[in-house]
Parts: sequence; C-alpha cells; structure tokens
Amino acid sequence: MPRAARFAGLVCLSVALAPPAPGAAAAGTPADDGQWTMPSKDFAATRYSGLADITPQNARSLHPVWTFSTGVLGGHEGQPLVVGDTMYVVTPWPNVLYAFDLRREGYPLRWKYRPEVSSNAIGVACCDSVNRGPFYADGKIVYNLLDGHTVAVDAHSGRELWKTQVADINEGETVTMAPLVVRDRVIVGASGGEFGIYGWIKGLDLATGQTVWSAHNLGPDTDMRARPDTFRPPYDHGADLGARSWPNDSWRTGGAPVWGTVSYDPKLDLIYYGTGNAAPYNAEQRLGDNKWSASVLARRPGDGSLVWAYQFTPHDNWDYDATGTMILADLTVAGQAVRALVHFDKNGFAYTLDRATGRLLLAKAFAPVNWARSIDLNTGRPVLDPTKQTGVSKGNVKGICPSLEGGVSPSSPAAYSPRTHLFYTSTNNLCMDYAAAHASRLKGTPFMGINAPYSAGPGGYLGTFMAWDAASGRKVWENREPYPNWSGALVTAGDVAFYGTLDGWFKSVDARTGEVLSKFKVGSGVVGNPITYRAPDGRQYVAVYAGIGGDWALLSGDTRSDDPSDVRAPADFLPDIARHTSQGGIIWIFAL
Amino acid sequence: MSPAVPHGRTAKRTLTLATAVACTVLLSCARQASPPTGSAPTPPAVRYEAHLAAGGIAPGGGTLDNPHAGDTAVAKSGAQLFTAMNCDGCHGSDATGFVGPNLGDGRWRYGGADAEVFNSIYYGRPRGMPAFGGALGVEGVWTLVTYLRSLPAPPDVPTESWEPK
Repeated sequence: MPRAARFAGLVCLSVALAPPAPGAAAAGTPADDGQWTMPSKDFAATRYSGLADITPQNARSLHPVWTFSTGVLGGHEGQPLVVGDTMYVVTPWPNVLYAFDLRREGYPLRWKYRPEVSSNAIGVACCDSVNRGPFYADGKIVYNLLDGHTVAVDAHSGRELWKTQVADINEGETVTMAPLVVRDRVIVGASGGEFGIYGWIKGLDLATGQTVWSAHNLGPDTDMRARPDTFRPPYDHGADLGARSWPNDSWRTGGAPVWGTVSYDPKLDLIYYGTGNAAPYNAEQRLGDNKWSASVLARRPGDGSLVWAYQFTPHDNWDYDATGTMILADLTVAGQAVRALVHFDKNGFAYTLDRATGRLLLAKAFAPVNWARSIDLNTGRPVLDPTKQTGVSKGNVKGICPSLEGGVSPSSPAAYSPRTHLFYTSTNNLCMDYAAAHASRLKGTPFMGINAPYSAGPGGYLGTFMAWDAASGRKVWENREPYPNWSGALVTAGDVAFYGTLDGWFKSVDARTGEVLSKFKVGSGVVGNPITYRAPDGRQYVAVYAGIGGDWALLSGDTRSDDPSDVRAPADFLPDIARHTSQGGIIWIFAL
Repeated sequence: MSPAVPHGRTAKRTLTLATAVACTVLLSCARQASPPTGSAPTPPAVRYEAHLAAGGIAPGGGTLDNPHAGDTAVAKSGAQLFTAMNCDGCHGSDATGFVGPNLGDGRWRYGGADAEVFNSIYYGRPRGMPAFGGALGVEGVWTLVTYLRSLPAPPDVPTESWEPK
C-alpha cells in the first residue's frame, strides 16, 4: 500500500512535466519515423532502420554518450523501445519498467513501474530470468512478467492499466517473450520446454487484457484451433496431426513452448512464430514426429485459427527449438518474386519459405551441421545422419553439431536490409555429446533427461557475426569471434550493421563487407539486441544492453560474482570468459 | 536429536512417491518403502546456527541429524534420486550448478548443516527452489542429503587467476 501511494505521486509529476508524443507507428510497415516502437522494429521483424546519419565513412567516431545501470544481474536479452521522446526499458526479473526522458540532460526517469513478480518463477525459468522486451501500441506499453502475467502500462503516466495471468508457474510455465500487438490483439506465449508444458499461444484484448482465444501448439485439432477447412500444412494431411504424431498422449507434456518474437504480415493477415523443443529431451519417451514442436506456425491474429505449419526438426532429439525469429522479406528466389519467410534455426540450417503457404524454397547450413545431411525440398524433411540420432538406447552419442545452444540462439534475432538484400545474424560454433536418460515428470520441476557437454566446433573459433543471402543460401561474409555470439543484429539505411559479443564488445561493421568500423568495451557480455532511433535533438543514436546471461549451461556460472556460496569451475570449452566479463545490466547509448 | 517427522500423512505420501517415481531407478526400494525413522512427532523447527541473533540471544529450536550420515549405499541411492527427481535439471549433472547453485563446492547459501540442507529440500527456498518434502517425504529428503554430503568438496580456492603461473 505505501508503495502504491508513492508511485501515484510520481505519476502525477511526470504527467505534468512531459506527455510524450508518440507518432503513428504501429501500423503495417510505416515509413521510418526515427522511433523503435516494437521489439523487432517492424511487423516483418527486420530490425532494419531507415536512419542513415551513421555511415561506414563516419562510424569510427561512434562513442558512448550515456549509460544507466539497471540494478539487475540477470541476462539482459531484448531491447529498449523509443516512442516519441521517451525510452522504455524492461529488466530481467523482477521486470522493472523504466521510462527515460530523452529531452533532458542525463535522460532522467519520467517514472518507473515495479510490478510484484513472484521470485518462485526464477526456479521455473529453464535458463535465466530473462525478458525479451516490451511492445508499444495505442498509448500502452505491453510486456510480460516472468511469473506468467501480461501487463499494460500507460505510456504517459506509468499507471498500470491491466494485468492478466496468462501462464501458471505451477505447471512449469514462465513468460520471457516480447508480446506482439496486432490491431486490438496482444499475442503471448509461454516458455517451459524444459518443464514438459502443454505449449500454447494466446490472444488478449488490448483494451481490457481479457483472453480472447487460446491455442495449443500440439495436441488434438480442437485444442490447436486447427479446422479442416482452414488448416493446410504444406507437407502433411489428416486430422489431429499434433496428437497422432505422439504415442500414448505424450503431447500432454510435450513442450513446444513460445519464447521468441512473433512477426506479422498485414496483407496475408497472418502471424508467424516458432515453437520450441519437444519434451522431454529423451526422445524415446515420445516416438514420432512430435508435431508441432520445433516448427513455424501461421495463424490469424483475430481468432487464433491455424492456417499452416511446417516442422523444421521432426522428432527433435537434440533440443533444436525453432523459436528464432521469422523474418518476412520479399525476395527473388530462382528468378521468381516470392513473399518469403526467412529463419535461422538452432538446427544449423537457414530456411527460406513461401510465407503464404509454408512451402520450403531453400534450406542451407549456415553453421557446422552433421545431424542431417541436407533438407529435402520435395518433402520438407531433413535427410538424417543415422549415427547422430539420440535416445536412452543410443547411449552417449558423440560429436553432434550444432550443440543444443543452436547454430544460433533464438534469443539472438537476425536483421534484414532491403538495401543490401542480406540477412545479418550471430552464430555459435559448438558441438556436443548427448547422453539421454529417462526423464520423470514431476509437475513444476525440469522434465529433461539429458547430459550434453559441449565442445568447440571445427575451425578454432566459437562464434561469428555474418551476412547471409537467403535467396541463394550463401554466406557473403563472416566475422569470427572467440566466443559464441549471443547478441541480436541491427542494420540501417546507412549500410552499417551492429552487434555485441559475449566478452563485452559492441561493434559497428560495414554491412556490405563486415569490416569493423568501431568497437567499445561495454562492461559486460552482450546478449541483447541493438536498436537505433532519432532523439528529440534530431540526432541518430544507437542503444544496446550489456549484461551477460541467458543460459547457464553455456556460461557455467563462472561469470557470477554475487553469490559467495556458488563457486564453479570454468567450462572447459569456454575457459576464460570470466576474465573478460561478469554479470550486470547496463544500458548504453552511442552517437557520432 | 532424531530426524524430524512432521506427521504421518507426509510419511504415507512418501510411500506413494517411492512407488510411482523413485522405485524406477532406486537400487533399493526396500529402504525407501520402510517407515520413516524416528516416528516421534518432533516439530521440524530448525535453528540456523549461522544466523545473527538479536541481542545475542539465540532462539529456541533444534537441529536435525541425518540418520544415514556417511552411509555410502544411501548416498548411491541419493545420486539416483537426484536424477529421478529432476534435481539435475536445475543444479546440473553431478550437482555442480546450472540455474541453481553448485551443491558440491562445499559452500551453502542457506547453511550447510544437515538440518539446514534438509530444510532447503523439504520446504524449498525463495527464488526458485521448490519444496520437495511433499513429493519425497522425510526419508527421501534424507537420502538426497546423504548424497549431497558425500560429494567430495574440492579444495576451497577463492582465487581464480589468469596470470601466467
């Protein structure tokens, strides 16, 4: 109660001082107005900005102009928003929302919003207490809390407008994704592929927060909102594919969570999102294709109807989540103009699909891959290497590439430039051994069955930042990095791309060649996604979070300094990351 | 002091769990299914010796002793229970830490006495440790404690150096 009263005072003050003036942003693909109002910049999830003040010619003079400690140590994935003259930042648990006044020297806070978020959620989040960002729509900042709530906060006043429970931590569900708002619908899903959840996605009403529809990603057609007259998967036929591809009703605990970004095509009126791994990791407890885990699903945002689905990794037995971004771009593939969907999967293949039908146009390895030899374009299925299949009866299967961290982490979204026609993404170069074990289901605890130590992939480097031609399935350039690369990508009309590294460098590079133009050590490893915007002073700025985290399997806990009762040996594949970084969230802003 | 047995109902649920889950992997189900030792209705209150006491006056409250302390067969069962109850999903294989802390480094966030480790598992802890007492019962929790205490703590070397040796 005292806390609420104190906040009310702050709210009144901020309204009197500074009503932000958000432009008409979130409609279709707007002309660039210098804002960054949604997680991926636009509905197509391109992370491309039309701002062009920063160029390869002048980027060498980029330097930090402002920093702010978030006071939080969890992995700082996601990105800020800039709406009008305000920057909005959501922290990892406890999911504080900060609103910075970009008109004033030092960018003081207009307000901050501190929801009550259960600390119990931390133990239900598989890998770290991350949050992948807010969404601005209709005067509201909408985002998710780790303990299973979606909130809408008035963008002007910071006042809570509604708070809806969407997920249940007792079932192993947490919410880490950024929502997508389409018209009056807020799209959210739950994490929990490591807890055997019955994965779903929901549509809430933007005005009230009430749940309008809920659809599972697996299970019987009725649960999936898949109707025979409207659901047309390009490579499959028949009813209840999401149930019949799982023996013994194992879909009930089959995972297929939603924790990446969602994209939207206004012309086709379809949302696109990827589903995570099938549960448990011991795949012999769920023989079959396990549809629609490790898949991309296309739905109508209004009522959630399923329109098509394509499975990247049938019978996932390597933890190859497909929750990475689905980028929508109009490309020319083999001389044909196509409405494409491009996706870099954890399984190491980059896919180019027809986003109207889900049919596969192209799939090529973008990182070292050996679990499959290729993807058959006629069937859409991988051509498997039988020696790299896992399960209890297979024992310890050695040397599988990529590792379960993925050829790229789904937490590291790619970018697309319509000027260069190239996609930009971080990658990992890790392999693994995979020893599956029987997993027992105990609600609210991990449902995995796995021991999978990692090792460096071939070539003597652990990650890259690279440019990819999705029309031909070809790598154009790559910058090798000494550590797995976990930041998202940004590319601009100035033909400059931006990314951060796990050892804490923030870099700008020439989008056409990869040449490093500037770099700065930002105090902690970067697992967030850079953005750019034009501030009220008319200048172009670039913002990014530092704050290593996001997967303790990768980092071994060796980068932690806050808990004297938790001391770990460095991971043998990543022996000196703690020499270069430790935990801690910092917001950085750069300018020329 | 004899081990805490909160009440009979919990003990009964222990049997159910042992049958449903733990027996699939435990070498010895006989031990798991036997009645919990120390059937006196001892309150499970535990005094944390490391906590500061206001005024220097320690509160009332007892300690609990592990009935299986040092029993290598029980420790072996506990290692299997550690996997069967999905402890490894948070604390990592061999309890060396993942999202949950390392339990084999000889350092303890909530105290390393038998009773304190027992309470951490039985009742859970803030920031994510679920209460396993309901699912495991007293005997199951002691089996896990016995396993964790059997892990050879490495030498406590507070310095991590990257300088040439």
